[in-house]
Parts: sequence; structure tokens; C-alpha cells
Amino acid sequence: MERARIRAAGQTLPDLLSRNAIILLLFLIVVVMFISGEIVARGFASFSHIGAILRTASFLGIVAVGQTLVVLTGGIDLSVGPIITMGNVFICMFMGGLDANNLWSLSAIILLGMAFGTINGLGVTYLRISPLVMTLAVGSLVTGVTLIFSQGAPKGLASPFLRQMGVGNLAGQVPIIVVIWAALSAVVIVLLGGSAYGRKLYYTGANIKAAILSGVRVRLVKTVAYSLSGAFAAVSGALMAGYTRTAFLGIGDEYTMWSIAAVVIGGTSLTGGKGGYVGTIAGAIILVLLESLLTVMKMPEAGRRIADGLIILIMITVYFRKPARG
Amino acid sequence: MTERQRNLRLFVPVYAIFLFIYLGACIVEPTFFTWNNNVNLFTRITPLIIVGIAQSLVILTGGIDLSLGASIGLSNVIAASLPFVDSPANIVLWLVVPPLVGLCVGLVNGFIITRGGFPPLIVTLASGAIWKGVSLFILPEPGGNISQGIAGTVTGTVFNFLPVPLLIFLAVFFLFQTVLRRTAFGRSVYAIGGNETIAFESGILVSRIKIGVYAISGMLGGLAGMFLSGLMNSGDPLVGEPYILNSIAVAVIGGTSLSGGTGGVVGIIGGAYIFQLLNNILNLLAVSTFYQYVAKGLVLIAALAVTSSGAGIRLGSTFRRPKKREAE
Repeated sequence: MERARIRAAGQTLPDLLSRNAIILLLFLIVVVMFISGEIVARGFASFSHIGAILRTASFLGIVAVGQTLVVLTGGIDLSVGPIITMGNVFICMFMGGLDANNLWSLSAIILLGMAFGTINGLGVTYLRISPLVMTLAVGSLVTGVTLIFSQGAPKGLASPFLRQMGVGNLAGQVPIIVVIWAALSAVVIVLLGGSAYGRKLYYTGANIKAAILSGVRVRLVKTVAYSLSGAFAAVSGALMAGYTRTAFLGIGDEYTMWSIAAVVIGGTSLTGGKGGYVGTIAGAIILVLLESLLTVMKMPEAGRRIADGLIILIMITVYFRKPARG
Repeated sequence: MTERQRNLRLFVPVYAIFLFIYLGACIVEPTFFTWNNNVNLFTRITPLIIVGIAQSLVILTGGIDLSLGASIGLSNVIAASLPFVDSPANIVLWLVVPPLVGLCVGLVNGFIITRGGFPPLIVTLASGAIWKGVSLFILPEPGGNISQGIAGTVTGTVFNFLPVPLLIFLAVFFLFQTVLRRTAFGRSVYAIGGNETIAFESGILVSRIKIGVYAISGMLGGLAGMFLSGLMNSGDPLVGEPYILNSIAVAVIGGTSLSGGTGGVVGIIGGAYIFQLLNNILNLLAVSTFYQYVAKGLVLIAALAVTSSGAGIRLGSTFRRPKKREAE
């Protein structure tokens, strides 16, 4: 397919503002949303509610780490939703509510997520299947595996330790999961900006031919991105089990869409090579805030789905434009 | 390679695999060959063929339509929410409104994609979410009313022996086979999928053709939603969800390459049959429906592995080293 496209004469946001300015703008939107929420409903911007918003955003933020990596390579991962559900269902089955099972269950979940992510990566790189359908097909596979092993009725419980991770607070006010998310974000941002892998990821997404010619093993770089995506999705699903205590088969359904939305809102280009995780953090918080605002305004489920779609469409019109043909 | 040879290469393997599975099933399970079972199969594959053709057209231009599930769902709930139930007016509306609704969904997609130059993937994903929301507004729970007689007609027969679903899918199939092979529109679709810049520079109105393709895709989604409403005698806002994956699977198994420009609708019937027969065989073997997700995923990956290697189905070249590495 034709890749080189002539930029429009009309200016888009990335032409006008630097990347840092866009990120600043996104966090400004977060602040404005909190303030408008406070106006609509008292207590929206209270410390405990901010904590609750960030807690919900953490689950999305952790999934979106993987999605950001994959999108940076120029791909997309539509299997994160099913992998979240798998992580959610399997962690409860493995743990059975006992702390003794923590170590092996969590390792098993990470390995499972990574395994399916690697299948995605190998399909995309070695079988040269388009990421979109490869991950869609693997998503179906993962859903099947989850259903077969849970027999359609998930059993088991999250262990007290995982429960503490999901609902616990540090120093009484700061949710533990938000701390985990912050630490993870720091690692991801440093790795993307400063490590060899981070640079190779950007090269691969920006210009795959140049990357190959300069000796980057693009297949390895891509496969690693997909397996990390699988691992993060599974971990996020497990943490959700810590939050809700029991497993739920539909828990991951909306997260495929949300993770992509967080990445798009964060300004990472879907063609690859441009963007980063800081924007995605803002994207995840904005999405959760929007959901929360709409819930406060008593918008039904259907209206929130519409809002999700609209915000993606609005953000892509803000971020890029190409001349129309014919 | 002449056009005829290319055509043969495209659909001979699909139909060979279909016949192999079909005959195998008949030998293992003689009841499989009964007329009743075949009529049942026609009914099952009709929506698959309709959405498979829709997705094939979009994929041929190098795009993808992830909102097909939503256009099926939306037209389905609208078909079940029409006024004047059990009067001729309702039946007329039932015939006209759902495809028009789908057409509008597709037009909006096509317009946004071409005017803004946005990736079809993200636009159709977002618009799919919006229309799914609208369907949930119209009909939050499965239900609604379909006029009496519609269900009987949809699953009925003409002249007491020709099943209606068979007639529907054959009509849609031959219509789009002709459109793709014999009209300027069809040739433009292939040209755009082959190389958009060259197509544009040779005077093809790329944007209009693309809008047309997404509109047709939406309209066929509407047709499928309408058919399903008659089949199930009710509406369901989420009825289209599985068809996102199913339509891509049928298009790919039918021999259309995801990189655009190669393939067509010739192999669609074979593709839909292969897809449906696998489900039926798993049912006959009394395997839990849960395994069907796994089977679907595996079949799709296998079909993609074969077709992604080049134009149409070329088994021989699957494991050869790619010539163009940017194809990654």
C-alpha cells in the first residue's frame, strides 16, 4: 500500500505545537475535567475521588503500556481485551483465595500473557500477517482457551495479597496500585527514551527499511513489543481480580478499545515511530475521567460507548490530516 | 498469468478444500447429506456470505471495516423496532429501512476516512463503538417485534423447493461478482488496492470509489442485520459482534489478500462454507461451543499464513523467504 503521503497545507496540532506542549495541554485537560466535575457534583475533585479515578486509570494504564509499544512499531494489538479476561479468570482459579499460591500463579499469568503475545509477534513478523487480523484471531483463540478452562463459569478467589494490591492504600490515602503504575510508568518512560531497545522500537516504527539496513533486528524488536503487550494485559487482568475479588468473563471486553483510545488521545501516531508513554498516561486518565463524569451526569451505558467513539474521532481529526483525493 | 488463470488460482483451492471437508463430513455422518441439513446450512451461511462480500470489497481497496458488526446490530434493532407491526406497511419498511441505515453508517465511515485521510482501522473502530451505543439506546435488551410472516418467508421456499436464503446469497454473490469483474467501479477498486497513488494519477476518483465501497459495505451489513432479524424473529443490539471477525475470516479464506488489490468474491461461498462447516462438524462431534473460538482463531491464522505470502493462495511460496521485506 502506498505509504508516502503528501502533508496537507492545513495545519494540524502536531505542526503547531511541540510534543511537550501537547502533553502539557493533555494534562491541562485533566485538570479542567476535574474542576468541571467538581462544579457538576461536589466532591468530584476530592482527594479520595482523585484516588479512585487514578486507581481505575491504573488498570487501563498498565494495559496501555503494551499497546503503546505495539503502536510505536506501527502495529496494533486487538487481543488485549481477551488476554485481560484470561488473566482475570485464571488468576482466581490458580490462587483459590490462598496467599500460598501467589508466586507461582502470578508468574504463570505473566508467562501465559507473554506466550500469547509472542504468538501475535511471530505471526506478524514471520508469517507476515497484518497485526490487526493476527491479534483479532489470537483474541478469539484466547477467548476460547479462557472459556474451555473455566467451563464458562469462572471459579476461585483472589488471594488476600492480590486483594491488597487491588484495593489497598498506602499511608491511608494513596492506592497501592497507583504507586505500582507510577513506578512502572517511570521504568517505561526511561526505557523508551534512553535504552537501546527503546531507540530500536522508534526506528522500526518510523522507517522499517532504514532500521533493517542499520542492523536492527526488526522481527525481534516487534515480537518483544507484542509479548510485553500480552504480559501487561494479563497482569492488568490479574490486578482487576484483586480489585473485584472474583473473576468476570466480560471484564476485558471494552479494554481493547480503551487502550487504543488512550494511545490515540496521548498523541502516539498509529503509523508508528512517533509518540510515547507520557501522552498515554494522560490519555488513560482522560478516558476514565470522561466515564466518571458521564456516570455522574447519569448517562446510560449506551451513551458512554458513544462518547468513547466520539472522543477517538475527535482526537484523530486533531492529530492528523491528509488532502482528500478525487 | 492471464486473468483467467489468476481467477482459477484464487478459487480452485478454496472450493477444493470446501469439497474435501463437505464430502468428508458426509461420509462420516450420513445425515449430513440430507436436504434438510443443506437448507439449514444455506440459512447459516447467508449472513456470512453477505458480510464476507462486504469486507472483501473494503479489503480489496486496502482498507478494513471494523464497524460492520455495528451496522449489522444497528439495522437489526431498527428492523425490530419499526412501527405498524403486522401490517403491510411494516413489511415495506422492514425491506427498505435496514439497508438504508447500513448505507448511512457506511457513507459516514467513507466520508471521514477519505476527507480526513485517517486510517480506516481506527475510524471504523470508533464509529463502530458509536453505532453500537446507538443500538443499545434503541434496544437495550434483545427483543422487539417482527411482523408475522417475515420469519416464515426468510426461512421459507420459493415454488416449494428453492430455499429463500440460497436465492438471497446467490443473488448478492452474482451481483458483486459482476460488479467487480465487469464494471469500471470494480476495476477501480482493484486499482486502488494495488497502488493508490498510481490509481489517483491515472484519473480514478479514489475518494469517491472508497466512499462507495464503505457505503456498500454498510448496506450489506444492513442487509445481513435485516436477514438476521427475520431469522431470529427479534432484534439484538449485539448480534453483529461476532461478524467483525467472521467477515474478515470469510474474506481471507475466500482468497482476498489483506494487503489489498488481490482476491475477489469468487471464493466467498467456499470460504463461508469452510468456516461454517468447521462449526457444524465440531457440533456434530459434540465438542463444547467454547472450542469453536479456538477453531475460528486457528483457521483464520492458518488461512492468513497461506494468503499473506503473496497474491491469492500459493501454497508453494508460503515458506519461501520474502522478496520485499517491507511487507512486514
